[in-house]
Amino acid sequence: MATEQQDGAEVFGTDTDEEPEIKRGLIESWAANAIKNPDRTYKAMFYTATIFFLVTTLFPFYWLFMVALTEQRNLQNVGVVPSGFDPTLLAAGDLTMGTNPGVFIEVFTLVPFHRYMFNSFVIATVTTIIVLIVASLAGYVFGRLRFPFKGPLMLLVLIVSFFPPAAFFIPLNQLFNTNVDILRPILADGSLYNTPYAMIIPFSAIFMPLAIFILTTFYAQIPDGLEDAARIEGTTRLGALFRVIVPLSAPGVATAGVLTFIAVYNEFFFSFLMTDGGAANWAPIVEGILRYQGQYEVLFNVMAAASIVGVLPVAILVVVAQEKIVSGLTAGALKE
Amino acid sequence: MATDQSGTPVEAGGDSGGIFSGVFTWMENLSEAAYAYLLLIPGFFLLALVAFYPLLDTLRMSFLADETRGADPLGGFVGLENYINVLTGNTRLGRQVIDVALTSNFPFVELGTPFFRQALFVTLAFALLSVFFETLIGFGQALVLDQEFRGRRWVRVAIIIPWAIPIVIQGMLFFLLFQPTVGFGSDFMQAIGVFGSDPLASSRDSFIIVLVADIWKTSAFMALLILAGLQSVDRSLYDVAKVSGATPWQRFKYITFPIVLPALLVAMLFRTMDAMRVYGIIESTAGCSTVPSMTCLVIDGLFGGTRIYGTAAAVAFLTAGIIGIFITFYIIKFRDAEGGFM
Repeated sequence: MATEQQDGAEVFGTDTDEEPEIKRGLIESWAANAIKNPDRTYKAMFYTATIFFLVTTLFPFYWLFMVALTEQRNLQNVGVVPSGFDPTLLAAGDLTMGTNPGVFIEVFTLVPFHRYMFNSFVIATVTTIIVLIVASLAGYVFGRLRFPFKGPLMLLVLIVSFFPPAAFFIPLNQLFNTNVDILRPILADGSLYNTPYAMIIPFSAIFMPLAIFILTTFYAQIPDGLEDAARIEGTTRLGALFRVIVPLSAPGVATAGVLTFIAVYNEFFFSFLMTDGGAANWAPIVEGILRYQGQYEVLFNVMAAASIVGVLPVAILVVVAQEKIVSGLTAGALKE
Repeated sequence: MATDQSGTPVEAGGDSGGIFSGVFTWMENLSEAAYAYLLLIPGFFLLALVAFYPLLDTLRMSFLADETRGADPLGGFVGLENYINVLTGNTRLGRQVIDVALTSNFPFVELGTPFFRQALFVTLAFALLSVFFETLIGFGQALVLDQEFRGRRWVRVAIIIPWAIPIVIQGMLFFLLFQPTVGFGSDFMQAIGVFGSDPLASSRDSFIIVLVADIWKTSAFMALLILAGLQSVDRSLYDVAKVSGATPWQRFKYITFPIVLPALLVAMLFRTMDAMRVYGIIESTAGCSTVPSMTCLVIDGLFGGTRIYGTAAAVAFLTAGIIGIFITFYIIKFRDAEGGFM
């Protein structure tokens, strides 16, 4: 906004040719520079914004790290350094300087946290794949085909997200704890309780509306000509979807995948409902973190350490995977 | 699959036999509407099992009386009584959904309990404020991530991190940050005069804490979706605009924004619905009796001491109704933006 007005000012300035004669203070000359060379201003704005976002998103995470490094008994007045931090201890030969890096080992010794991470990872991966395939079909239908009752059907998908998760609680709890005779050959007692399926099935349904809407908007933007061309070349209907539409919407598909994966990885409500919380019973990472809440005290520092261990690798993995997926899909895509 | 066969797609796989090619041939010959319904079957099957069936059961519960004594928590059919009781504050719930009275003086309404202790107002205020700030910040983050610069991957990791943190930990983090003996958040906010003496017990101060915590975590959600929209903008459009002398603001207004709009609307739509169902972050920081949201009341009814399942089910459906009213705005927008999109 402001720069637009400055651009206008520049026009007047050059008209009267007064610019070089004015004596300017520091701020004025900076402003004059900014007017003459807007690209520099945009660069400065860009760096300011980047630094602002980095500080605001990372600071609480950094503080979580400081909480993790503080020993449980010292947990008071944690600032930019862990409380109990004392660099002079280094001279005395104490490499930890009053902090508690051992907490990152404690995370795995108190509770089989690696198993919880594995459970969450498997559940999130399978759910993401199911959601992407099923939502791709639905997104294609809603985004590109014409048929009666399209609006009402989309609304029906959306309505699922109107309800608090608790509204599904009691009926689903009964459903998943029922012993179904058909399932007996596969599952020991014929009930889905304490199996990964009991989480993958509800997660797939709960996170599908978002994926369907994302994919609908992205698939709708692909020009019809590209799909028609592929069909004339002899691709099947499904082939056109998965070989033309999906690759051309790579950023949208990857984002739907990332959002689903992370949401499932952290989901708490249904995982709490569908398992008893045991690591061997496919309980996810959040159950693992809550295990550090003892009967008499809450180990805030271990919980903080566990969440860092659980989150950081996944965040990096997700970003790398997203880049790979986007570049992989785009490389195979048709060009206009 | 069909590329090695000559002829039109309709004939593809026609005489090679086998179940698969038979299915494909059958699919090729379906009408557009029939094909559409066929592809929707898997999605709607999942939704029916996990969502529609439980919701119908909950709807049935909302018409049944609360039975706090007997073995079965649900009593006989009472019609809309639960809904009326919830709206008039005549329930066993810890907080009221809405408590206002009409008066004859200006401004003609009077709050029975403070604003931040009424679930409806807390929910609406939270949804409006959080979606507004998250859209603003998310858009900013997406514009930054859309630029090419060194280390972009790591900036992206940094922005995704809050979104990847489980709500339990997010709650713990902000609880500790504003807990007077552990963190410094309350000292700081008191120093600038925003917070009172005990922030985690004050409804207004706790509301701000919950709001900040939510904005911190979920701006990334907006950023990722808007970024996906930005990445589908054809870069050559910018070159054309530059050559014709468009300022960066004009480039944003006439190229970027219209193309991003559908993705932005989807992001805002789902954020609004999520924000109106807020629960986890409240429970893990200030607690549901300090900052009551609509979902808080549902949980309170289901798990809070007395079993009032019928009332809880009614609150759940009221929440859905309020969200539905709100969402109508987006649906109208969608229709305008896409022309027959929905």
